[in-house]
Amino acid sequence: MSKNSNSCIALMSDSKIFLQQVLALLAKDLKTEWRTREIFTSMFVFAVLVVVVFNFAIGADTELIRQVASGVIWIALSFASVLGLQRTGQMEREEDSLQGVLLALHDRSALFVARMLAQMLYLLVVVICTLPLCGIWFRIDFIACIGGLCVVFALGMLGLSIVGTLFGMIALHTRACEVMLPMLFLPVSIPLTIAAVQATAQLIDGKSLRDIADYLVLIGIFDVVFFVLVLMVFDYIVEE
Amino acid sequence: MPKWWTIMLFVMAFPFIYLCMNRVFHVTVMCITMNVAIMLVFIYAPTEKMQGIVQKIFYFHVSSAITMFFAFFLVCVASIMYLWKTSDWWDSIALSAAEIGVVFCTLVLITGPLWARPIWGTWWSWDPTLTLTLVLWLIYVAYLMLRIETYDPQRARFAAILGIIGFVDVPVIRWSVEKWRTLHPKPVLIQEGGTTGLTSAMLLTFLVCVGAFFLLFFYLLRERISVAQSRHALEVLRHEIDEICVG
Amino acid sequence: MKNVWYLFAAYSTIWTALCVYMIRLSQKNKELQAELRDLRTQLERVVTK
Repeated sequence: MSKNSNSCIALMSDSKIFLQQVLALLAKDLKTEWRTREIFTSMFVFAVLVVVVFNFAIGADTELIRQVASGVIWIALSFASVLGLQRTGQMEREEDSLQGVLLALHDRSALFVARMLAQMLYLLVVVICTLPLCGIWFRIDFIACIGGLCVVFALGMLGLSIVGTLFGMIALHTRACEVMLPMLFLPVSIPLTIAAVQATAQLIDGKSLRDIADYLVLIGIFDVVFFVLVLMVFDYIVEE
Repeated sequence: MPKWWTIMLFVMAFPFIYLCMNRVFHVTVMCITMNVAIMLVFIYAPTEKMQGIVQKIFYFHVSSAITMFFAFFLVCVASIMYLWKTSDWWDSIALSAAEIGVVFCTLVLITGPLWARPIWGTWWSWDPTLTLTLVLWLIYVAYLMLRIETYDPQRARFAAILGIIGFVDVPVIRWSVEKWRTLHPKPVLIQEGGTTGLTSAMLLTFLVCVGAFFLLFFYLLRERISVAQSRHALEVLRHEIDEICVG
Repeated sequence: MKNVWYLFAAYSTIWTALCVYMIRLSQKNKELQAELRDLRTQLERVVTK
């Protein structure tokens, strides 16, 4: 009985340390980003550029633009995600602080969770800033379906962050990392992109959350499977 | 209750696999089976009523697809074994299976449109399996590029991780593409109907083709693993010579 | 019979690709084996010195 309670206490204190370390790393990343705002600015500007260029590419047909709006938004998010990860990777290579951080960690996967949360927060801010612009340019009323959109964007960005952080750390060790990151990230995240685009499009069309339940389940499964997978293999990524 | 000949086939598979360990026997059986398969496809199998002679592409197209899936499955298994045991042998298997898988994947992507064009009037139809094949091609080409571009100690490990992720992604991709496909208009068929189903002659031809392709796959796997192992042995030797010369 | 060119194109692609790949593999194998033999003799020479 006492052995069980001892192991329970150990588990709880382990999780407490894990959470503390995750929050500490996240705070450090966000503080660094807040000072320069480099990553967020480049992501936001790039997302806006993608939306504008697509607008010109599609032409003046408002109905057509309305139909492809959700696709354009998610493409802009994917590409902005790639850009953000590349900037994060570049900054880490310049600072070369990875080994020091890893030594200080009780459980190495805290680094992955912290990075993933940071990436998700950057994407969240980009979405909050870009969505009103898209609403104006594409003449779509996002407010009407804001609840559903929150769910879809939260799950979708979680998936993009998980896969992106994993491949960002892998691509860091390659010779042509600017090329390798999108090559790895974009194909693997195709199911997420498909489901997110369809879910967003149907929400814009006026459907409810129940109607897009299939897509939400798909995105949810994608997130869970990849999160578990990455936690299992993370040690292999960072060992020297 | 399975038929007696399926039980016989299953039982005979084991000594057959053992005999195929001998390279000469393997190559001989492979050549014979391939020749028999070609004869069956062009002479024995009946021409399908609806699709005409183009339907014969199906035998090698689907056999390539099945072999490709098996190759990528092997990459996943070998990657897991490599991460567990850290042995170069498993790494060689993963790399070889991935390369051969990409070759077969390319063949599927080329023969698919060549089959689709006369039947459906369009080169590409975003059919779920073909789309899945395209996405897998992208992922495993990235795998091969990752191996070329990564520095040495982490190369095999990162590739192993990608090998596992790529295969685990397959059911998710398949599900998402099927859901997406329900929105995509089906191609207008130039000729009516798909297949009228496989007759027993066609089924036999198809099974022999699949068998021939598997034998071919394992032959290519042997050769490619031998290349990978030789490269590794070369590196070890060069390292030894360097050490002796310096020391 | 009008679509026979598609059939011809499909099978010739498969056979050409597979043959090219097999020939490349066996050539590479021969080269590597030759290089291994050379290096092994070199190593023996260095060791006996």
